[in-house]
Amino acid sequence: MVNVHKGVLVECDPAMKQFLLYLDEKMALGKKFILKDLDDTHLFILAEVVQTLQERVGELMDQNSFTVTQK
Amino acid sequence: MKLRVHLQCKNLHEYLRELSPEILDRLYNHPATCLAVYRDLPSLAKNYVMRMLFLDQPLPQAALALWVKIDSQKDHDECVSVLTGLRLWHSQQLQGGLQGYILNPVFKDNLRIALLGGGKAWADEGSSLGPDRHARDIESLDRYAIERWEVILHFMVGSPCAAVSQDLAQLLVQAGLMKSEAGEAPYITSAGFQFLLLDTASQLWYFTLQYLKTAQSRGMELVEILSFLFQLSFSTLGRDYSVEGMSESLLTFLQHLREFGLVFQRKRKSRRYYPTRLAITLAAGVTTNTGFIVVETNYRIYAYTDSELQIALVALFSEMLYRFPNVVVAQVTRESVQQAIANGITAQQVLNYCTHNVLLWTPVLPPTITDQIRLWELERDRLRFSEGVLYNQFLSQVDFEVLRDRAQGLGCLVWQDAAHRVMVVSPQGHSEVKRFWKRQKSST
Repeated sequence: MVNVHKGVLVECDPAMKQFLLYLDEKMALGKKFILKDLDDTHLFILAEVVQTLQERVGELMDQNSFTVTQK
Repeated sequence: MKLRVHLQCKNLHEYLRELSPEILDRLYNHPATCLAVYRDLPSLAKNYVMRMLFLDQPLPQAALALWVKIDSQKDHDECVSVLTGLRLWHSQQLQGGLQGYILNPVFKDNLRIALLGGGKAWADEGSSLGPDRHARDIESLDRYAIERWEVILHFMVGSPCAAVSQDLAQLLVQAGLMKSEAGEAPYITSAGFQFLLLDTASQLWYFTLQYLKTAQSRGMELVEILSFLFQLSFSTLGRDYSVEGMSESLLTFLQHLREFGLVFQRKRKSRRYYPTRLAITLAAGVTTNTGFIVVETNYRIYAYTDSELQIALVALFSEMLYRFPNVVVAQVTRESVQQAIANGITAQQVLNYCTHNVLLWTPVLPPTITDQIRLWELERDRLRFSEGVLYNQFLSQVDFEVLRDRAQGLGCLVWQDAAHRVMVVSPQGHSEVKRFWKRQKSST
């Protein structure tokens, strides 16, 4: 029998995928959201966490950036 | 999963191609239109039209193909498609049974009139009214045009000093540049932001095209308005023209043009009008560059302007640092660029705006800045989402392949992995694929 899941396909680079796996493991979003790990660059996740995920990624990028110039 | 609306700026030819054939044929009845369309053709197409202008019989396609060298075949094909798309010519069968091309007779006659003279005068010169006591010179016309156009842009940015008529506000909402909630003043949309950063000629075109689209719903004659617009573009700057013989809808159109700054009329009931530079450049498509921005490699922008509008536009994507009477100093930062992107502006548009307005002695933007702005835009796109339905755990390879091919045939296959027998289908295709699968199961 074929299994059918409804969700969202995420495409990203391998580094970002590791970050998502980390978030999933640490239950940072309150629950496990990865339904299936497809390959190096694709994941299948729950549809409702999309917004929070964007925010978390944004926070990660903010943490890793610094002001290039001086005022 | 945000949908980013991209502003599409169509030019004259693309707009004409969308019109129905009857309207196009009626449009070509006016020499001004034919000349304007001819002016915008690629040079090879202009050559073809000229060669066929005085032929009364169709020209065989073979003869046409002989006019170009073999390695320019691509240009030739492109020309043929442009001319056919605009209905400037159509193919007709010759006596020998060969296929030939003949110019659209209406277009041919009117282009001949445009080039050689004759026919009705295009615009009534104001000679019947005598010299104008309140004549305006070219400079004041330019100032008037820019002032009126900037009022519209100010209104979009939301400056409290700008006020436009109800009609114009509604046109902006219909064009998708602003949105209005019930009873409240309209506010700008992301398409509106992109519109603000375009150069004036593209802005004018976009606006005019939107106006033409709504013209029919207002009960105005599209052909009349378009012909008048082309007539305007051929008029001389600084000369006044009379409103003799213009119909009701043309007069209303003239009032709207007056509000956009394309013509100047001293009073609403004045019998003469002056076209401004904006009207003449509309169809000519030539823009003058008076730059005022310098972008430096330390992410600073110096804008040598005191126009509120220009300053507001620069502030859309940078942080203001200092302001002097003739210069404004701003800095492009990650936060300011990402704020602009959140508002719906793309990095390419920001860069186009800067390149277009750059002060002439530094004609190139520093590559560090252009790359960094694009990188800041890409940062937000590290994850790409697409809704889908996952199918896995197929019992056999054959089952997987049958279903996969069916989904691919329907065009809804988003992703597949044949080695693990997993596939993702878009939600729209899911019901169809499910039905197909059930039929398969019941038949085997």
